[in-house]
Amino acid sequence: MARYLITRLGQALIIVVLVTMITFVILHLLPGGAARATLGKDATLAQLAAFDHEMGYDRPWIQQYVMFIGRLLRGDLGYSFQLNQSVAEAIGQRLPKTMVLSLFSTMLAVVVAIPLGVVQAMRRNRWPDYTITTLSLLAYATPIFFMGLMMIILFSQVWPILPPEASQGFTLGEVLADPAGLVLPTITLAIVTVAVYSRYVRSSMVDNLNENYVRTARSKGLSEARVVARHTLRNGLFPVITLLGMYLPALFSGALVVEALFNYPGMGQLFWQAALKRDFPILFGVTLIIAVATVLGALLADLLYAAVDPRVRLRTAARS
Amino acid sequence: MTAPAEAAGTPVPADEAPVRGQWRQALTVFAENRLALVGLVIFVVLGGLCFLGPLFYRTDQVHTDLASVYLAPGTPGHPLGTDGVGYDQLGRLLLGGQTSIVVGLAAGVLATVVGTIWGAIAGFTSGWVDAAMMRVVDAMMSIPSLFLFMLMATIVTPTVPMLVLIIGAFAWLGPARLVRGEALTLRSREYVQAMRSMGGTGGRAVRRHIIPNAIGTVIVNATFQVADAILYVAYLSFLGLGVPPPAANWGGMLSDGLANTYSGYWWLLYPPGIAIILIVLAFNFIGDGLRDVFEVRLRRR
Amino acid sequence: MTPLLRLRDVSTDIPLRQGVVHALDHVNLEVRQGETLGIVGESGSGKTMTALSIMGLLPSGGHVVGGEILFEGRDLLSLPPAEMRRIRGVEMGMVFQDPLTSLNPTMRIGAQVAEPLRVHQGVGKAQARERAIEILRRVGMPRPDKIADAYPHQLSGGMRQRVVIAMALVCSPRLLIADEPTTALDVTTQRQILELIDDLREEFQMAVVLVTHDLGVIASRADRVAVMYAGRVVEAATTAELFRQPRHRYTEALMESLPGAAGHEGGALYSIPGLPPDLSRPMTGCRFAPRCRFATEECRTTDVTLSGDEHQHACLHPVLQPRARAEVAAPVPGRAGPQDEVAPILSVRELVKNYDGTGSLGRKAPQVSAVAGVGFDVRPGETFGLVGESGCGKSTVGRLIVGLEEPTSGQIVVDGADIATLDRRARRRMHRRVQLMFQDSYAAMNPRMRIDSILSEPLEIQQAGDRAGRRSRIGTLLDQVGLPRRVLDRYPHEFSGGQLQRIGLARSLALEPRLIVCDEPVSALDVSIQAQVLNLMRDLQRELGLSYVFISHDLSVVDYMSDRIGVMYLGKLVEVGPARDVVRAARHPYTQALIEAVPSAEPGVAPRESVAIKGELPSAQNPPTGCRFRTRCPLAQEICETEPPLAGGAHQVACHFPLRTAD
Repeated sequence: MARYLITRLGQALIIVVLVTMITFVILHLLPGGAARATLGKDATLAQLAAFDHEMGYDRPWIQQYVMFIGRLLRGDLGYSFQLNQSVAEAIGQRLPKTMVLSLFSTMLAVVVAIPLGVVQAMRRNRWPDYTITTLSLLAYATPIFFMGLMMIILFSQVWPILPPEASQGFTLGEVLADPAGLVLPTITLAIVTVAVYSRYVRSSMVDNLNENYVRTARSKGLSEARVVARHTLRNGLFPVITLLGMYLPALFSGALVVEALFNYPGMGQLFWQAALKRDFPILFGVTLIIAVATVLGALLADLLYAAVDPRVRLRTAARS
Repeated sequence: MTAPAEAAGTPVPADEAPVRGQWRQALTVFAENRLALVGLVIFVVLGGLCFLGPLFYRTDQVHTDLASVYLAPGTPGHPLGTDGVGYDQLGRLLLGGQTSIVVGLAAGVLATVVGTIWGAIAGFTSGWVDAAMMRVVDAMMSIPSLFLFMLMATIVTPTVPMLVLIIGAFAWLGPARLVRGEALTLRSREYVQAMRSMGGTGGRAVRRHIIPNAIGTVIVNATFQVADAILYVAYLSFLGLGVPPPAANWGGMLSDGLANTYSGYWWLLYPPGIAIILIVLAFNFIGDGLRDVFEVRLRRR
Repeated sequence: MTPLLRLRDVSTDIPLRQGVVHALDHVNLEVRQGETLGIVGESGSGKTMTALSIMGLLPSGGHVVGGEILFEGRDLLSLPPAEMRRIRGVEMGMVFQDPLTSLNPTMRIGAQVAEPLRVHQGVGKAQARERAIEILRRVGMPRPDKIADAYPHQLSGGMRQRVVIAMALVCSPRLLIADEPTTALDVTTQRQILELIDDLREEFQMAVVLVTHDLGVIASRADRVAVMYAGRVVEAATTAELFRQPRHRYTEALMESLPGAAGHEGGALYSIPGLPPDLSRPMTGCRFAPRCRFATEECRTTDVTLSGDEHQHACLHPVLQPRARAEVAAPVPGRAGPQDEVAPILSVRELVKNYDGTGSLGRKAPQVSAVAGVGFDVRPGETFGLVGESGCGKSTVGRLIVGLEEPTSGQIVVDGADIATLDRRARRRMHRRVQLMFQDSYAAMNPRMRIDSILSEPLEIQQAGDRAGRRSRIGTLLDQVGLPRRVLDRYPHEFSGGQLQRIGLARSLALEPRLIVCDEPVSALDVSIQAQVLNLMRDLQRELGLSYVFISHDLSVVDYMSDRIGVMYLGKLVEVGPARDVVRAARHPYTQALIEAVPSAEPGVAPRESVAIKGELPSAQNPPTGCRFRTRCPLAQEICETEPPLAGGAHQVACHFPLRTAD
């Protein structure tokens, strides 16, 4: 297990390093380079040159990359002149709010998707299965912001029980203090997630229900409910853990749209506003942090899977 | 000799079944999937309307007409009303559909081609080249795609070809992973070994065995890529980084419609929304149907 | 005495995509208390469906459409579901074919075995565990208290099958249904499992239904036998009676198709022509009639039902003569062994193949020693049989010979040329002379290629002939393997196993090779189809002067096909010699054990017990030093820790204590 942990950590580290390289390359693809990006399009040539020299952007790329990494390691993600704030600080304020939104909607999605998927698998190719399949394909085909808007129209206009905008609290505590504002963003983000998860749970459960061990379980005279509860459910749900990790990029993309729609003060909204204002230090900082969060999330999911599934647990234990 | 084979009974003797062409057989299976057929019909109808419609239903989608803004549906000459700058909404829907479908198809195909090449090279070479290529894919995949698209859209001005390039340039990661996995499994198939035991070369294995067998997976995935690309275009428009007017696409129209939600101009919101849902659904259905086609012919007995 | 179980006119339907398969058609059977009923039949005969109908475990959509299944006088079909579940769990137990997949991979063994107790008898957790351990000990699991906490993937196939048996028996059922319980296992393990079932039957005083395709298993283990064909019982009798005098023409034909059966030592096997019928179509008359040599017009039109008291059969022209006993016939002239002076077509010397162990990333695991110093010659026109259990390295030897893998060390000399020294071009040409025939021809054919492309592929690769030449060559090949031309524009999935094997053989022949390595070529086929393919292979050998390396786990098939046999155990050749000598006068204890483990299709031949192998196959990552068999050998002494050389004239053995001295 320890060895598995180390190998998996090593892989994650390599990916993070590659992510920094990719960001670095894109940064240098910018017309006018990082200086133009940081100082904006009104800066004079002299100002740009001075900035380049100060930041070391006139040195060879390799050296620059080393310096870039050095700054990253010190937690220095750059400075946003437009926000008049260090990038790290800006992200620090927003990151927890995005995490809370993603976490809540994932939890909601899992809680809804598992029973749906299980029902579909048990009633496969009958009307409950077809209905849920059609609904999830419909949810998957709907742009998130359109879905969110429908929710707003339904629950803030037609039947006004929830605010159409998320809480504008500055800190996470303030946001949490106004849970009503979180309801619509969370549900909107969860709906698409449910569509993806339930399809996955369904196919995983169907695969397991077709396994021979299920026939053995039935031959013991177990009721169908017990067969599902004690045998297939666990085995069918193990792979869902890895899906949680694999789905993270899509989840964050969705969060970006949801935050923009509901004006929720998270990373996504920060990124969006920075994009409209061409505030590159923020854009790169957020990209980097969101990528690291994705890698860590996937790592966590893989380790959790290895810890709970005896097939993986014992195999990795035997090797180390 | 195995128990499950018993249930299936015996195969039809070779001399009894009528010979059916590969294509006809494929068509039959595709048509058996009702949803796939529905998807195909939706796609043909929408595509036909968008590309042929404007030939018969001519509207001015370049010059604004501030004298006739926000006309309600049913107004003479404007069956679906007009928008905030006086464009005819129906005409604009047809025009926008062209962009959405073209961008979706082009980006989906581009992503599939790039991804297939990348994944195939990684899968065939294996060893450290494979490892390096796949780590790059992992790294790029860990940056959520919408963030990447927006980043690129802030760097270059989005035009239709640029949009295709941006989406295509990052959406190939999924197909790359898929094709690599497929190449790895196909390489170890017994029929490839049989060919090698006859003295066949690696090139022949790729040409005659691996590509024909992997093509199905790739095509199925491409349809899903098209659906995703159409959604991404919509997201970029919603986030203000889409193709600027007077060009139109359904995503952009839908985003514009959002601003008018509270004004009661429903005809600006629902038609493009429904159009996007329909076209994305159509491609997903078609993908499902194609998957059946490619799987069923491999199913034994 | 009323029978424990009686099936009356049971019919079962299984709906499929293309239509309804009538898997069972008016099946009548009875199982008496304490007896073993064998149900024997080929694929599609309905034997498994019979078992599943009794248990109420038919695949989804399948259901019994007519008849009664009376268990202790009660019709199982009319019981409420809860009561049926109780009977299934407590009164009956079932053992399935594939032990590797029939256990829940994420549940501890103890919990799985104890589950019926907990569900049906409300036994407490601790007590259920105790009883699970007790029954695990009873089925011969070493250290059952440890095993109870293990997961299935930590056990070997044989051990897992013991767990499944323990699970079926934990509530002391009245009836045990074993569906091909040993088909997925090696012969030595098969023997252990069958013996276990026999012992337990007496101890628990239960009845056993033993479903199998293997007449040998039936002959040695069943009290009575029911023979099934195409969804019907065609004959039922006591085992001794059935084997002494089969009455139905199908039973007779089946017995004659067995390699090693009486009357065709060295000659051709009887093979049943054609294929079993498609059960989704309506049928009239005897279902075997289209394939029967004695069928008359009456057979095709009249429905025949089982008749008779003790020996029932459904045949209008039953066999009247008792079956001829096996006699040692003189070898057929013309199959006399090839001359020693002739230069060998294939010569293998000191062949070694090690694989890197699968460790986690960047970490070296011990190497797997798959083949460890194997050497033999194959002469032109000869068949060299390579026999051994799974994991002995026989298939690896085959793959090395055809050049699919590179040997770690050692020489492979084909037609006088060491293939390691050949340049690229010559190596490619070499593939013309040596070809491989696969066990599963379906997997070995590209599913998207038509048969004509599949057959012309070797010719294209070797650039043999022009288009027209290839076309006519393919035609000749089809004639040789007895298939019509119209198969050419079809796809592999449209063919049955036997037909695919013919096509595979045709492809191997395309380049007019001198040697064909056949890796388990008939192992996936039914007995009657197997006979067709074996006969074809022998005919072609005679016509074309081919040599075969015939690899199989099935000793009787290897014996039938081969001039000489090599026996492999854990990467080593332990015995080599003329087929008759090796099989009838084995010198190595392992060979002897292997021979004795094969169930004979002659009832009354008591299982001999001179050498019974105990324990499990050691890991090839860490094989025993010296003689690799010594850890399981009843004769092993200290000296066996040094490696015995393969020695002794025409019949060589690698053993310090050979059972017989060389002639």
